[in-house]
Amino acid sequence: MSIVLENLTKVFAGRRVVDRFSLEVGDGELFVLLGSSGSGKSTVLRIIAGLTPENEGSVTLFGRDVTNLPAQERGVGFVFQNYSIFRHMTVAQNIEFGLRLRRVPRAERSKRSAELLERIGLGGLGGRYASQLSGGQQQRVALARALAYEPRVLLLDEPFGALDAKIRVQLRRALRDIQRALHVTTILVTHDQEEAFELGDRIGVVEHGRLLEVGTPESLYARPQSFFVATFIGTGAVLVGRCEDGNARFGPITLPIPAELPHEEGGPIRMLVRPEQVRLMEAPPLEDGTVALGKAKVVEQTFAGGTRRVRARLPEIPGLRQIFPAVPYGEEGILIDAILPADQPVPPEALICLTGWRILAQPQRRVLAIDTGGGSTDALAGAAVVARTLGASLRILGIARDGAQVERLRTLVTERAAAAGAPDAEVRIRTGDRDEQAATELAETYYHLCVAAARAARDRRRGAFVSPAAMERSGTPVLFVRGPLRPIQNLLLCTAIGEPGRAAIRFGGWLATRLGARVRLLHVHREGQPPPAWVLSHLDLGVRTLHGQSVAADYRVRPAATPAEGILAEARQGEHDLIVIGKNAARARSRDDVTAQVLQGSDRPVLVVGGNG
Amino acid sequence: MSAAQPEIPYSTSPSPTRRRRTRLPFAPVGFLLLILLPLLLMPLGAVFVFAFKGGVAAFWKAIRTPEAQFALRFSLLIAFVTAAINAVLGTFAAYVLSKHRFRGERTLGIVVNLPVAIPTVVVGTSLLLLWGPIGVLGKLLGPIGLQPMFRPAGVLLAHLFVTFPYMLGTVKPLLDEIEGTYEEAAYTMGAGRWTTFRLVLLPALRGGLVTGALLTFAHSLGEFGATVMVSGNLRLRTQTAPLYIFARFEAGDIAQANAIAAVLAALSFLIFFFLFRYTGRTKRAG
Repeated sequence: MSIVLENLTKVFAGRRVVDRFSLEVGDGELFVLLGSSGSGKSTVLRIIAGLTPENEGSVTLFGRDVTNLPAQERGVGFVFQNYSIFRHMTVAQNIEFGLRLRRVPRAERSKRSAELLERIGLGGLGGRYASQLSGGQQQRVALARALAYEPRVLLLDEPFGALDAKIRVQLRRALRDIQRALHVTTILVTHDQEEAFELGDRIGVVEHGRLLEVGTPESLYARPQSFFVATFIGTGAVLVGRCEDGNARFGPITLPIPAELPHEEGGPIRMLVRPEQVRLMEAPPLEDGTVALGKAKVVEQTFAGGTRRVRARLPEIPGLRQIFPAVPYGEEGILIDAILPADQPVPPEALICLTGWRILAQPQRRVLAIDTGGGSTDALAGAAVVARTLGASLRILGIARDGAQVERLRTLVTERAAAAGAPDAEVRIRTGDRDEQAATELAETYYHLCVAAARAARDRRRGAFVSPAAMERSGTPVLFVRGPLRPIQNLLLCTAIGEPGRAAIRFGGWLATRLGARVRLLHVHREGQPPPAWVLSHLDLGVRTLHGQSVAADYRVRPAATPAEGILAEARQGEHDLIVIGKNAARARSRDDVTAQVLQGSDRPVLVVGGNG
Repeated sequence: MSAAQPEIPYSTSPSPTRRRRTRLPFAPVGFLLLILLPLLLMPLGAVFVFAFKGGVAAFWKAIRTPEAQFALRFSLLIAFVTAAINAVLGTFAAYVLSKHRFRGERTLGIVVNLPVAIPTVVVGTSLLLLWGPIGVLGKLLGPIGLQPMFRPAGVLLAHLFVTFPYMLGTVKPLLDEIEGTYEEAAYTMGAGRWTTFRLVLLPALRGGLVTGALLTFAHSLGEFGATVMVSGNLRLRTQTAPLYIFARFEAGDIAQANAIAAVLAALSFLIFFFLFRYTGRTKRAG
């Protein structure tokens, strides 16, 4: 191995910009580090070159541990994005600089620079100054300069970032040829996936200072494992469903989960669909391996030469959620892109069918707490406890009205988190309208649970709270906490009036497994109107489902004047620690009332589970 | 040569945008000349007119007196040493202020530029109060023989102080323009810090160094306010050329004063002629 990085870590101002970064690059390989700006990829490169000291870890180049050597003694070639050609030297003098330092005789130096100039296609321009060259030419000179002293490792930091598209394509080809010819081990850093695909023998995707996945361009595109890689490379939609009986269930379709993918029964699971895997059909497909997702309206089409990109909108589907691309605030449904041949007519409405898909690893468990920066920290403390119990990472969202408040709110929320026993929680501040920002956060990232403070009936500070509807709209289960959260041992799962929500039972069961709690299913009916038989059979099915998830469960039917009264009476009597209410999209109005009444009538936390959580 | 040197802007090069020559520029140009005549041109001319009023021989005789010779040589020596020392100190200060981020950086940046704004007489007074026989440092260092006031060293101290910002002002903008990766590129190719400074940074600063040094030299040559305070104006010991001119003038020896003034003015012209040529050329080349 030419380049071996082990556990590199770099902390800047308390932030880990490079986090336990390990990588091996083979002899003569062109390796591309791909990541968005600020992901830490350039820092990794600078650590290899010795320009930035690491906090931990080691760098080995060709078997030699260079971790403690200064940049001058590492013998690597480095090309910067801004070229950094020495302005007072001619092109030839620039290229010869490294040789001059190595006391190579003048004749040999000029021979070498002439050779390199020829190779980079600038033969005869050795006498020019940088100011007389174009950006692309300057970058070629920078490349020649870094190669002149024949380093065994070449590092390129966004080398084509400052150039326009056409020059970039030319230079890529030139770089590829030179790298092949000289067989120099190369690491190139870029944020441009096209560049990564074209140049990389292998690609490593970097995010938050970590190396997420490494692979050939083909394997990363076709078989990404993480959500980030799936959405960062290529385009496509990511949908969330649930694991059911060992399969992945996405609304109407059930797909097998690859054997190598660890999954958890009842937990969420995600699938990536690339545009070329989507067909617009008139009738359900007959052939094997194609599944139908549902009827959709074509909302947008873009002509792109030989192909046409079509965006179709499916109506909301129970048991299915989209997390990428994030559905804009205030909109509903699922947006799926397809690529069709440009000459094929696009019907206004069609059946969306999938010919392929990729099941992604189950999402890391995440809990989001929404903090307003004021009032009691009970909700934060509750979120910390729940996150710990679920083994989830906790993120706290604060919403500032304008940019001027961001830092103040960040400090405040961080302090409150520490006081609430969640010092490790990640604090994120968004700016803008409270409801909109909360909904956007929940639409963009998959959270297992969202925790917020419940507004007391007499609390007039309406503006201090995010509206429950904004949070519930995303489909994320929302836990409303009032007062200190007690340990949860008894869960009351309310089916209210109507059929028991499947999603509520699944999520309640999943939660009960994690908490080790027992579940009581509750159905409230009007006094003097005993429930019909189908309600009882639904309840029975629910209990059996929960037993299937190894949760102790029973059900109870109770008469009361209103559903809320029945729920509150049962909660008091049965000493339930948590009330779970299934949200039924079709009965949004009555649900609001029940949830609000229960929230106001009880000091217990209330969990609202949406139809497609 | 007047006692208070006019402040010179750092960039002395003409604007690079090419001006169109209009057909009838007489009105505005004539008006400008009319204003400038009593303000600038006539005083400048007067120096030479009065210097040569008694003929070339008288002029020659006036600058050949031992006092005049000493004053001129002393001024040139002080100006040269000041320029040399401040070239190094100023470049160093510019490097530190440009390449390092630290607390109080802004404050320090303002403080090192203050000497331009403080009246030179005030500088002289404060130096006297600090180093003089009753000053804080003077009391401590006087007994061991370190007493720069009323000696050439005192004049040098005053000149270093007063001209410090010039070097900084011409070198720092150039350094600020050089991106950090400029030096790092040299490091990765194997150049140490000193080699990088010598081969990569210094050549890039050449224009600023020359301009700064010449400005420092010119200002030092004409410095009056601080010098008159710290030198004691001692004939043949600490008397610089401007002090000599003032002394002769007060004694009523106007011809003598004007002869030296003409020499100083000619020197200044020479320096500025060179400055214009040089900065004009580097601007075009760079």
